Amino acid sequence: MVVDGELPVLFRRLFPSFIGLPLGPMLTLSLRSLARRRPQLFDRLGEHRRASYRIDPSDLAFSFIVVPDGQMSLVRVVSRDDSAAADVAIKGPILMLLGLLDGTLDGDALFFHRVISVGGRTEAVVALRNTIEDAELRPSDLLGLHGTLARLTDAGVLHGLSAVRRLTDRTATHARAEA
Amino acid sequence: MCPTKLTLGPVFYHWPAERLTDFYRRIADEAPVDRVHVGEVVCGKRLPFSDPVWPEVIERLERGGKEVVLSTLAAPSNVRECKVVKELCHDTRMVEINDLTALPSRRGQSFVAGPFINVYNGGTARYLIGQGALTVCPPVELSLASIGGMARACPEAEFEVFAFGRLPLALSGRCYHARLHGLHKDSCRFTCEQDPDGLAVDTAENQEFLAINGVQTLSNQVQAACPPPEKLAALNIRRLRLSPQSCDMVAVAKVYRDLVDGKADAEGARFLLSCLDLPGRIVDGFLQGKPGFQPAALR
Amino acid sequence: MSDLGRMELVCPAGTPATLRAAVLAGADSIYCGFRNETNARNFPGLNFTAEELAEGARFAHAHGKKVLVAINTFAQVDRVDMWRKAVDDAVASGADAIIAADIAVLDHVARNHDVRLHLSVQAAAATPEAIGFYAEAFGVRRVVLPRVLSVQEIAALNKQIHVETEAFVFGGLCVMVEGRCYLSSYATGKSPNLNGVCSPPESVSYLDDAQGTTARLAGFAIDRYAPGEPAGYPTLCKGRFKAGNKTSYLFEDPVSLNAGSMLAGFRSAGVTALKIEGRQRGKGYVTDVVSAFRRAVDAVEAGGDAIEIDRILARMSEGGRQTAGAYRKTWR
Repeated sequence: MVVDGELPVLFRRLFPSFIGLPLGPMLTLSLRSLARRRPQLFDRLGEHRRASYRIDPSDLAFSFIVVPDGQMSLVRVVSRDDSAAADVAIKGPILMLLGLLDGTLDGDALFFHRVISVGGRTEAVVALRNTIEDAELRPSDLLGLHGTLARLTDAGVLHGLSAVRRLTDRTATHARAEA
Repeated sequence: MCPTKLTLGPVFYHWPAERLTDFYRRIADEAPVDRVHVGEVVCGKRLPFSDPVWPEVIERLERGGKEVVLSTLAAPSNVRECKVVKELCHDTRMVEINDLTALPSRRGQSFVAGPFINVYNGGTARYLIGQGALTVCPPVELSLASIGGMARACPEAEFEVFAFGRLPLALSGRCYHARLHGLHKDSCRFTCEQDPDGLAVDTAENQEFLAINGVQTLSNQVQAACPPPEKLAALNIRRLRLSPQSCDMVAVAKVYRDLVDGKADAEGARFLLSCLDLPGRIVDGFLQGKPGFQPAALR
Repeated sequence: MSDLGRMELVCPAGTPATLRAAVLAGADSIYCGFRNETNARNFPGLNFTAEELAEGARFAHAHGKKVLVAINTFAQVDRVDMWRKAVDDAVASGADAIIAADIAVLDHVARNHDVRLHLSVQAAAATPEAIGFYAEAFGVRRVVLPRVLSVQEIAALNKQIHVETEAFVFGGLCVMVEGRCYLSSYATGKSPNLNGVCSPPESVSYLDDAQGTTARLAGFAIDRYAPGEPAGYPTLCKGRFKAGNKTSYLFEDPVSLNAGSMLAGFRSAGVTALKIEGRQRGKGYVTDVVSAFRRAVDAVEAGGDAIEIDRILARMSEGGRQTAGAYRKTWR
């Protein structure tokens, strides 16, 4: 999957303010604010809301460790080399991971084609994936953005996703031709 | 307390006619079982091979004092097979139905609801008892507690537990013996005949796991459940089913006879069974409410 | 039953969002289930509460679509009330039909409700006699056909029965007779019939090493993938096993069903409804597959050929490969 070339540019344009800012506390607050606005969203996770998920964007230098426990949610940003333990590890290009958030991309399809990989407690991955499917989140929801910045972020990420998606379509056609 | 009865289930495998004749001759004379199932259950294509054998086998078994039950196909898949099932249902002997295809032809007459019929609760059991079921042998994946729950709720029927043999786990429209040999089911050459206990299926890491028998998939491991008679009585379970394997089934029947008569304990019975020439190690997980492959441990 | 009306496109929904996506993508009916063991896709985070179902049914009905509720596992001995309650909740939520397999559940519906009753594929009713039994005993109006019949056999069957038939056209493919398979519980203790799950995720693990990934189920190695090779969910019957000195996909290759090219055949075989599998799949899948099939069904109904939908759908498939399964007799 050749997305590395375009990603850093896009990423810089979208999230300039992250450089040097405490991303973890900011995402923690966003997630807790989401839980205040839509508490039922976290019910779908059931017992797995207390699981820790390591989200490992393969094209970034850092990883997120997320405990999606509603208003007790916690997000930590760790270096990619940090081997902090988590119940689940989900790894893939950041655009793919973001595409899963709003349902633009199909998690199973990405998994079957090895674009994303998962490890650890599979049932917690499945619960998270189904919860996210139903949540219909925009990238801005997760970042706690509002107004114009939210619209720009969503438009930018979603534009990036559609480009990626065309690429996966081509890869799939190619894979099928080989099969 | 009325003694637990023993049933010899139908042979799942494609044994040649002579082997079937010899097997049942010995069962008739020597095996301490009350009831014997005969007939092809797994594959309709095998019917022409075993059909000529049954009249003599049945006569011999009945002469030996066994109650004979005619087992029917578990997944009849064409007009000819449905016709065979219906004809058997009109017999005056006891019939085991293994697919609801048989029910309209048997309704009102007594029958055995075999382990391929999905009886998972008292409601379903009562419905089938109302249609004529006298004995119910529930699906193999149920626990002893679940079967006991049904048996206590339905005292009017006998409940039977699949106690011995490779566990029948699945049926398919596809024949795996044929597929393994690069053949189609319609021109299968009956390669399943080479494997009197089914053909072992291991994982890629050589872990023993399953066995194939034509369209049927069984466990590689051998169920060898040895519930003590007082437990069976408490659960109102009145029969144990022993499913034929190529090992000495007369010896198996004797072990179980002693167990249900209280002449041997469970640990001794398990030991004697494990000394026989079984095609896999012994398990009883399903009846414990656990994964089916869990070993039959000494408790 | 031969009925030359328009074929109904029956689509899956594992969440309210997916239900809305299916409606908007052109489904005629949407099938779904409750968030418990009463339905055969009981995965973590999936399915509906009674309130969500009622809301989903309102949305579907407002768009002129139907909601079919799957209560298609087998009621457990000491918990039969949960299945009865599921039926009663579904009816109260405005379900247009109940899809059931267990005789006790069918009997409960027939005795207490006048809702339409469909026979689930989990009942594995494949003969005129078995289907006739369910129709007569419980007033079943439609049977979801086991995935073991060829199109020719379906055509012959439809001439001998008096209920509608629904055939799977796309998605995960069970190679075993459904409702009669205990492979999953043999390895994991949980089964489709009792718990609504096959190869449950809590028993699944993927282990990466330098040579690739091993997918395990309850400790049994089910398959191994080289780095970058398309992977699959470790469903037992799609694993790589050793038998008779050969290591192979003994039961079935890791493929998905796609009978998209056979829609005209289903129509002439008298099939009433076409079913897409995948309540565990996401909105992206449902939107793409449902809209592709919508166009294909419309093309067939207009007398044209089915459009080439294989290409569009390959990306959605497990392992990236597809088969027409038992619908072509050579599959056996």
